[in-house]
Amino acid sequence: MKARPYADGTMAGIALGVVLLASFVLAGRGIGASGAFAATAGPVAAAIDPGTIEAAPALADRLPTDFAPWNDWIVLELLGVIAGALVSARLAGRWRTATNDRAPGRLTRAVAGGALMGLGARLAYGCTSGLALSGGALLSTGAWLFIPLAFATAIGVTALARDRRLEELA
Amino acid sequence: MIPDNIHPAITAIPIGIAFGVILERAGLGDPKVIAGQLRGRDFTVVKVMFGAIVTALLGVVWAGSAGWLDPSAIAMPPTDLPAQALGAVIFGGGFALAALCPGTACVAAASGRRDGLAAVGGMFAGTALTPVAWPVVRGVVAETPREGSTLASDLGVPLGIVVVLLTAAAVLAMIIGRVMERRGGGSVWRPTTPESVAMALAATFAVADGRGALPSSRAEAIAAEIERESDHVEALELAELIRSRAPGLRILDLRDGVDTSTYVIPGARLMALSDIDTVSVAPGEKLVLYSDGGAHAAQAWVLLRVRGIRDALVLKDGMAAWEDEVLSPLAPAVPDDTSKARFVRARELSLWFGGFPRLVPDASTPASGTRPRRRRTC
Repeated sequence: MKARPYADGTMAGIALGVVLLASFVLAGRGIGASGAFAATAGPVAAAIDPGTIEAAPALADRLPTDFAPWNDWIVLELLGVIAGALVSARLAGRWRTATNDRAPGRLTRAVAGGALMGLGARLAYGCTSGLALSGGALLSTGAWLFIPLAFATAIGVTALARDRRLEELA
Repeated sequence: MIPDNIHPAITAIPIGIAFGVILERAGLGDPKVIAGQLRGRDFTVVKVMFGAIVTALLGVVWAGSAGWLDPSAIAMPPTDLPAQALGAVIFGGGFALAALCPGTACVAAASGRRDGLAAVGGMFAGTALTPVAWPVVRGVVAETPREGSTLASDLGVPLGIVVVLLTAAAVLAMIIGRVMERRGGGSVWRPTTPESVAMALAATFAVADGRGALPSSRAEAIAAEIERESDHVEALELAELIRSRAPGLRILDLRDGVDTSTYVIPGARLMALSDIDTVSVAPGEKLVLYSDGGAHAAQAWVLLRVRGIRDALVLKDGMAAWEDEVLSPLAPAVPDDTSKARFVRARELSLWFGGFPRLVPDASTPASGTRPRRRRTC
């Protein structure tokens, strides 16, 4: 099956805005992603080294230590994201159509990038979904500091790393 | 809003599925699309993000002004600007390396991409290892972040202006994106229908909000705060705040006809009610307003609250309460445990502030100069 083209960005954005609004109304909170990593990785970190988290109140605030994924809204929501994306990719003929994830160093950079995003999101109280998108729509000051800074840094790093290793993605 | 006693899965899973489907359909699970954005070749990320932010923002402000939704009841990420700036820079670097963000990495993994799975693994590891990096970064982190701070309240700009400026900026970013994607097509500079609708909705909101034509939700929210009495502080509480040198405490005296020879609450600054519009509150500051009986202070509180300033409290019953409860507290006629404890606390504070605790109601207060002439205006 041939992969279908992607949807129009503006229309997808409006649809996402309606979903975000529904989340505000129905759940009283915005959508997110990194919070689910905190809710699952936090208890793991606490099990290995409980002292460090307890000693830093500001850290305890960002990294939950109680493990209760089945009652945690954000964990359940991210499971929904995975299920929705899986079904959508299958229906659109995009399952495993990736050809550029075998490029040398690609997996290493994905792991390193993921790890940096994990730390950055804990410092910032959220990621592109929970802070930039949901906080941005609520006019949160922190979100509107995060959006330009995170994108400017990402654009700068991409421009500086002007070698062939990033070319394979474009 | 759905009641609290239902299982979170009932809202979380459908909302998550819709989120995942939209990200996948838009192509954001594909690192090629995100890398294209970071190189200025493909503006899908800008279109999806700003399209979603503007749609939800306009939905919240309009639904809020219609009274269908209480925007202040929606959980919002806290604000801790230094930590968020550092976090944004670290996050941005990771975003460039992975060409995926946490949410889209999950979408990529769910589409069968191994680099998506790798980024998800990295996210998990990086989050779990945050305590290891903590000693290095903790210097910029606030012990207690600010809750509920918005651009409107922090900058002291009316909500309608913020809404219209952000909508215009988002539409402009989308138009620039179209121009850079096509590089010289004919009508790319014209806003599309959804963009025009968004600008019209934002502009209408700004005009209606500026004219005070959208009273319902804001007035209701403020009325609810007044009803909860979360807007005031008791005289004894204020006395304890002053004595303990509470950080960020700022006291404003709004009485009429007060000059430098009149007794004021220690640390208070004089201000006329007509100057209240010039007040701005820095992060971490707590404003306490008082007048003779409290009416002027309460009116000033509403004027501040309408401007989005939430960190203001009114001294309950004003200077009259300060005199009766702090300067010359009266011993209870028939003491029970509660009233006795209260008097002991009040007496101690009173002596600290140079007051005269009374044992009987008609005891004349010694002429000390600390007691102001009782004025029963506002």
